Amino acid sequence: MLGVVTLLGGVLGPAQLVPDGTRAEVFQRIYEVFLLLGTVVGVVVIAYMLYKAYKYRESAEHGAEEGRPELGELPSGGGGGRKLFLSFTLSAIIVLSLISWTYFTLLYVENPEPAGDADPITVEVIGHQFYWEFVYPNGHSTQGELVVPEDRRIRLEVTATDVFHNFGVPELRAKADAIPGQQTDTWMIAEDTGTYQANCYELCGAGHSHMTGTVRVVTAEEFETWYANTTNESANATANESSNESVTAAATLARPDAGSVTPTATAPRDARLADPDAQFADPVRRAGFGTPRAAVASTASGGEPA
Amino acid sequence: MTAHDDTTHGETAGSESRPDEESDARTDGGALEPASGHAEAHDDGHDDHHGLGPTSSVKRWFVTTNHKDIGILYLVTSLGFLMMGGALALLMRAQLWSPRAPGAGPLSAFAYNQAVSVHGLIMVFWFLSPFAFGFANYVVPLQLGAKDLAFPRLNALSYWGYLASGLLLFASFFQGGTFAGGWTMYAPLNLPTFTPSVGGSAAVLALMLFVASVTVSSVNFLTTMHRMRAKGLTLRRMPLFSWTILLTVWMMLFAFAALLAALLILSADRLIGTTYFAQNGAAGAVLWTHLFWFFGHPEVYIVFFPALGVMAETFQTFTGRRIVGRKWFIAAMVLVALQSFIVWMHHMFLTSINLEIKTLFMATTIGISLPFDLMVFSLIYTMVKGRIRFKTPFLFSFGGLLLFIIGGITGVFLGAVVLDYEFRGTYWVVAHFHYVMVGGVTALIGGLYYWYPKITGRMYDEFLGKLHFGLYFVGFNLLYFPMFVAWETPRRVFDYSEGMTPWHRLATIGAVILGGSFLVMIYNLVVSAYSGEIAGDNPWKYSSTAEWAVSSPPPLENFPGVPTYGSGRLEFLGGSSDALDTTDDDGDGDGPAAAADGGETPTAGAGDAIANADAAMSESVSADAAMDEAARADAAMDEAASADAAMAESATADAVTGSAVREDVAPEPSIPADEAHEDGVHASHASIWPALIGGSFLLLFLGLSGYTGGSFPEGAMGTAYAAATGLGFLAVLGSLIGMARERFVGPAGPFGESWPFAKVSNMKTGMWIFLASDVVLFGAFIGAYVFLRFASGWVAWEPIPNNIMPGLINTYILLTSSFTVILALEAAERESRKGVVASLLATLLLGLGFLGNKAIEWEHLFHQGIWLSENVRASTFFLTTGLHGAHVIVGLLVTLYMIPRAWSGAYLGESEPIEYFGLYWHFVDIVWLFLFPLFYIL
Repeated sequence: MLGVVTLLGGVLGPAQLVPDGTRAEVFQRIYEVFLLLGTVVGVVVIAYMLYKAYKYRESAEHGAEEGRPELGELPSGGGGGRKLFLSFTLSAIIVLSLISWTYFTLLYVENPEPAGDADPITVEVIGHQFYWEFVYPNGHSTQGELVVPEDRRIRLEVTATDVFHNFGVPELRAKADAIPGQQTDTWMIAEDTGTYQANCYELCGAGHSHMTGTVRVVTAEEFETWYANTTNESANATANESSNESVTAAATLARPDAGSVTPTATAPRDARLADPDAQFADPVRRAGFGTPRAAVASTASGGEPA
Repeated sequence: MTAHDDTTHGETAGSESRPDEESDARTDGGALEPASGHAEAHDDGHDDHHGLGPTSSVKRWFVTTNHKDIGILYLVTSLGFLMMGGALALLMRAQLWSPRAPGAGPLSAFAYNQAVSVHGLIMVFWFLSPFAFGFANYVVPLQLGAKDLAFPRLNALSYWGYLASGLLLFASFFQGGTFAGGWTMYAPLNLPTFTPSVGGSAAVLALMLFVASVTVSSVNFLTTMHRMRAKGLTLRRMPLFSWTILLTVWMMLFAFAALLAALLILSADRLIGTTYFAQNGAAGAVLWTHLFWFFGHPEVYIVFFPALGVMAETFQTFTGRRIVGRKWFIAAMVLVALQSFIVWMHHMFLTSINLEIKTLFMATTIGISLPFDLMVFSLIYTMVKGRIRFKTPFLFSFGGLLLFIIGGITGVFLGAVVLDYEFRGTYWVVAHFHYVMVGGVTALIGGLYYWYPKITGRMYDEFLGKLHFGLYFVGFNLLYFPMFVAWETPRRVFDYSEGMTPWHRLATIGAVILGGSFLVMIYNLVVSAYSGEIAGDNPWKYSSTAEWAVSSPPPLENFPGVPTYGSGRLEFLGGSSDALDTTDDDGDGDGPAAAADGGETPTAGAGDAIANADAAMSESVSADAAMDEAARADAAMDEAASADAAMAESATADAVTGSAVREDVAPEPSIPADEAHEDGVHASHASIWPALIGGSFLLLFLGLSGYTGGSFPEGAMGTAYAAATGLGFLAVLGSLIGMARERFVGPAGPFGESWPFAKVSNMKTGMWIFLASDVVLFGAFIGAYVFLRFASGWVAWEPIPNNIMPGLINTYILLTSSFTVILALEAAERESRKGVVASLLATLLLGLGFLGNKAIEWEHLFHQGIWLSENVRASTFFLTTGLHGAHVIVGLLVTLYMIPRAWSGAYLGESEPIEYFGLYWHFVDIVWLFLFPLFYIL
């Protein structure tokens, strides 16, 4: 137990007890502590188990022959209740303290202090079969690619138009169910510019495996420039148009009778789906998350003229 | 079972042929040998009487109602489904060998989704629980000291319903592709808009049939376990495997009722076009998650508890130590069983539920993990000071516990909400629940080896058993551990990031090894069944439960006498004298006493067989409606069909009560088997009707699966589906009537321990238990209504009927009819034939008045253009009150059956059937007292 406490202290280190910061940082801290403690507990318990199994093997002839279970006896228990409760209490303490510790982090994640000085940007994320649509406060809508500034909190209001999806950006540790008729809120902060991949985490139909999107993180200036050039009308027009096509394509995908994901060649997105080479053409990767899909998604932003 | 005859021969030679290490270990088993020899002869004599035939005849397996035969059927069938689910898993792992572009790999995207979905459905529903219930069927009555389950034909019916549902699921692959929306069936992907194949509906209906048969089974087991324990075997003293099964069936009773409600609603949405889960609804998708996970979380324990029971039994036997802290072990399990119903929202942390609810469910989730700590430590400490023999059953149980520990620790990660947010929908979850559930399977495989000598009378090959364990354990960890490492992979996705490829390949290799290990097992078990060493009655040193005190395999009626623990040890009373030699000498004197109060002839009305027939009829009404509607597409008829899916269920459910009544033919007359036989009143062991009912339901549901959006499709296929529906319906009707008319004598008392139902007959207990599950069914329907109404603004939601008068009148009508049933009961008690007939007739007329009034009301609504697919308000109104209407119809059909019987004087002085019917009828009335204000006034 003492060792565990020391280890715990070591991991928490000089940092404050309840981690905050970006969601990736928060997750990483908690995950590491859990992984460490989980491994320690698992190894100790399993080693103990194996040791006892070996020690009390039959050939070692431990204990007396009498007092063993007999055929036809009324079931009753063996002794050793004190040790049982001691171990139980110990495990309960570990679990309860870990969970209460993370609860404070949950409170932070659910209701974070404003990070940085800029106001958060609110983006609506809409799941469709099988692509993501992002709507900015000015009404500008993009498909497949979300452009956000670095070091600024992005509030995501997630929903879906057709079936239950789940929007997640694994590297930024943002995730929320996308439910038709409901809105779920989450947030994320990207500390580095670059391209991140978004996935769908709830089975949503034949195109689920390839329902990815890109999160492109740019500097604040780049974002301002980009955002200033977006307008409500034009973007919407494009979005609507290509969204119609995509919906048609999606309908094709959604018909399992069609056999497989055999996209029609009407929309740019489908062209991407149809050509596996194009999909693996541009390996924009990030350390540890070498995902060719990220690259693909970036070429698939629905804003392109159809 | 094929070794049956040899066993008899081998009886005396038993000790020589036992494995060497065990031969000197039996301190007390030897005394039992003569007893079992006797029993064996006994058994053989009876086989002919009951038309069962030898175990080698095919016919036996279609007609048997014996719990041991059915246990074997469950085991074999579930292993068949394991192969099927395993084949799908191997297909998935083949697809996951590399990240795949769309269309690449062995499976298309649609095929992959089907494989994922049906793999999950098969493993959770058609393999795990039925596999565990194979043991439950075989072992629990033996451990309890019961000759069979309380309702043997219903037990057979459960099995055939299970097999029929599995065959329907298999057929669904060939109906334009099966369901492809995941085993969790999230809405609205589960609707025909997104999963339009006929096979999709077939899979949903298959699951519904499965759930109905589980409900039948739950009622049966609960009645048996609470009513039919041997004297001295109080609940506290019950062996741990039986304890886990008891808690499992209690959880099943309630959890599966919620699933039944979810599936009835889903079928209504798919087949007749209600709009509960429609994508444009405000909360349909969330409603599904609530309904599904309210069932889904207890389901985790439902599949795991039996494995825990096997662990407890095998740990005790193979360590030679009694379970440490046994009563705390039981207390922990009871706590888990209760708590399992208040943790479901931890599957929904990322939906729109608020922080307070998340906090609450985080707390309950952590709370439910703690009792498991205690159980794990209890098992581990049981090894201390033991004499552990590493036989195959113990290796599997030990390995299962080890895997469960890993599954448990990784589960704590998921209990931390912040981590759960990120693990949701990833392979972390996949790896975690496979460690838990397949960890459970590991222990159950141990159970298979443990009870194999009891079931077959022969010993499996120990070397091959250990080889199986080695391959299994290595394969398991190669398969699932890499999933923790590659946890960032999203679930149900075959286009994962390339960096994960090595881990996924490792998993695929592990899957092949794990799958291959089962070939070793099948070879071992099949060959050993014919040529294994004769096992003897009790091949395991330190085993203690009653199944080891009888021959292997046990005789048809299990025991050489009445089993009792009255003296503190197991004894068999009233049998032949050698049977009494068991373990102690005292207590012989109880034998005659136990039998003394027998002798009454079976009395309780065979009358209630009606319930069967009428259940069938209610079905007929609904199915008719469906067919008419197909032909005419006429609005009024269509509504009647709304209740269709609902009724299909309630018919099944009521068939439960129906035949339950029937089987109670000899409920109280307390004739110990031996006495009974001498009198020529034999307990029955054969009936062909359960198998026929199962087959009929298969045909009916196959036909119904073609029914989409309120009609059968055009063309030849549509005609075929319509014909199958019609024929299936007639067959269901015919076979239910056949079963109702069959004379069948169930196991008779007196039973030793019946707490807490000592004063209640089996039939009445079964009825109460069934009604308890019906409460949950209606509760889920009402809950769904309230939930949807809140979501769309409580006030903005106008009740559908614009006039409350019909509802108000119906309330009075139903209340009055409850009163007339009481009058009938009272008349029967004072033996007034006219009084009984008049009261029942009044009940029938009032019920008809209720239905007529409702028909007029609905007709008016249809004329106003209000139809069940109109909007979600209309859907909830028609479906919920339709379900209630179906219950009323069932009740009236029972009444219709009882009136002519009452006329011929059936219930005079024997009013029990009227009482049982009254319970049902009052329940239906009470439900209406909730529905009326909810749907007419508020």
